[in-house]
Amino acid sequence: MSAEALSTQDTVVQDTVAQDTLAQDGGGGNNFLIPNGTIIVELVIFLVIFWVIWRYVVPPIKRVMNQRQDMVRRQIEESRQASERLEAAESKYQEALNEARTEAAKIRENARADAQRIKEDMREQADQEVARIRERGEEQLTTQREQVVRELRSELGALAVSLAGRIVGESLADESQRSATVDRFIDELDGMSATDGQATTRTGENR
Amino acid sequence: MSEHVLAAEGGIQVGQHPQVTFLGLTLNVDTMISTVIAALIVLGFAVYLRIKATSGVPTGLQLLFEAVTDQIERQVEENVGIRTAPFVVPLAVALFFFILIANWMSIVPHAFADYVGPPTADVNLTFALAFFVIILVHITGFRTRGVQYFRHFLGPVPAMAPIEVIQEIVRPFSLSLRLFGNIFAGTVMVSIIALMPEFIHWLPTTAWKLFELAIGLIQAIIFAVLTIVYFAGANPEEGAH
Repeated sequence: MSAEALSTQDTVVQDTVAQDTLAQDGGGGNNFLIPNGTIIVELVIFLVIFWVIWRYVVPPIKRVMNQRQDMVRRQIEESRQASERLEAAESKYQEALNEARTEAAKIRENARADAQRIKEDMREQADQEVARIRERGEEQLTTQREQVVRELRSELGALAVSLAGRIVGESLADESQRSATVDRFIDELDGMSATDGQATTRTGENR
Repeated sequence: MSEHVLAAEGGIQVGQHPQVTFLGLTLNVDTMISTVIAALIVLGFAVYLRIKATSGVPTGLQLLFEAVTDQIERQVEENVGIRTAPFVVPLAVALFFFILIANWMSIVPHAFADYVGPPTADVNLTFALAFFVIILVHITGFRTRGVQYFRHFLGPVPAMAPIEVIQEIVRPFSLSLRLFGNIFAGTVMVSIIALMPEFIHWLPTTAWKLFELAIGLIQAIIFAVLTIVYFAGANPEEGAH
C-alpha cells in the first residue's frame, strides 16, 4: 500500500516537473522551432561581427589584394621592359659587332693597299736609284774614257814618236806625216774600245 | 507526456536548452555561450588580420580570407553589381565565417553538449540571421528602385502573384530552417550515437563529426551564396549585366 502510494507520488512529482519544464519554456511553449528572446541576443552578436568585418576586415583585405595585384602587374611590366631592353642591347651589340667587323675589314684592306702602294713606291724608287746610279756610272765611265783618250792622244803620240824616232831616225821628221800616223792609230784604238763598251752593256742587260 | 517520458527513457532530449529569464525575455544559455565563443573566434581572426594584413607574403589565414573575399566579391559583382549594395560583400563574408565557426563548434565533445554546441542548431540564431538578411534585401530593393520594387511581387503575369508572394514569405524560413535542420540533425545524431555502448561509440562519433565539418562548411557556403542571390533578385536590372 505504502509502496503503491510512493509510486503514485513519484509519478505525480515527475508529472509536475514535466509541467514545470513546459511552463518554463515560456511564450514559445515547448516547441524548439519557435524562437524566444535569444533571437535578439543572437542578432546583436551577429551585428557586432558584421560591423567589425565591414569596417575593419574587408577594407584592409581588399587593399592588400589590390596592392598585390598592382605589384604583380608592375613586375610583369618590368620584366617585359627588361626583356625588351635585353633584346635591344643584344641587337645593338650585334650591330656594333658587325660594324667593327666591317671596320676591321676596311682597315685591313687599306693596310694591304698601303703596303702594296709602299712596296710599289719603294720598288720604283729603287729602280730610279738604280737607273740613276747606272747613269752616273756610265757618265763617269765616259768621262774617264774621254780623259784617258785625251791623255793618250797627247802622251801616247809623243811617246810613240819618240820611240819610233829613235828606231826610224830622220824618216819621220815630217811633222804632218807624224801627226797623221798618230791620229790613225788613235782612231783604231777608239774603234776597238767602242766594240768593247757595246759588249759590256749587253752583258749588264742580260743579268 | 508519453513522448517526453519516452525521450527521457532513451536519454535523449531534443531541442532542450537551459534557460534563464531576463527582462521578461527567455534566453537559451547554451546557445548564447556558444554564440559568444564563435563570435570571439571570428573577432580574434579579424583582429589578427587587421594587425597582420600585408601585401607582401600573406599568412595562411589571410590567404583564406582573401580567397573567400575574392570569391564573394566576384559573386556579388556578377549578380548584384557592387555599386548598388557595397555592404553585401562584407555581409556575405561575415555570414560565411560566423556560420562556419558556429557550425564547426559541433566538434566540441558531447560531454559539454549541455552548454557548448553548435549555436546554429538553435532556431534563434538562424532566424535572426535569415530575417536580418531578408529585411535588408527588401530595404535595398526599395531604396534602389522605389515603388517599382514592389511590382516584382506580382510576378510576370498576375496569376502568378500569389506564388510570388508566398515565395517571398517563405524565403527567410527556408533560409534559416535549412541551416538549422542540418546542424540540429547533426547534434541529434551525436546524441543517438551516444546511446551505443561506451567501448564502440567513439568510432561512429568521430566519423560523424568529421562528416559534420563538411556539412558545416557546405551550409555556410549555401547561406552566403543564397544571401547574394537574394540581393541579386532585389536588383534584377543591375544583376542583368
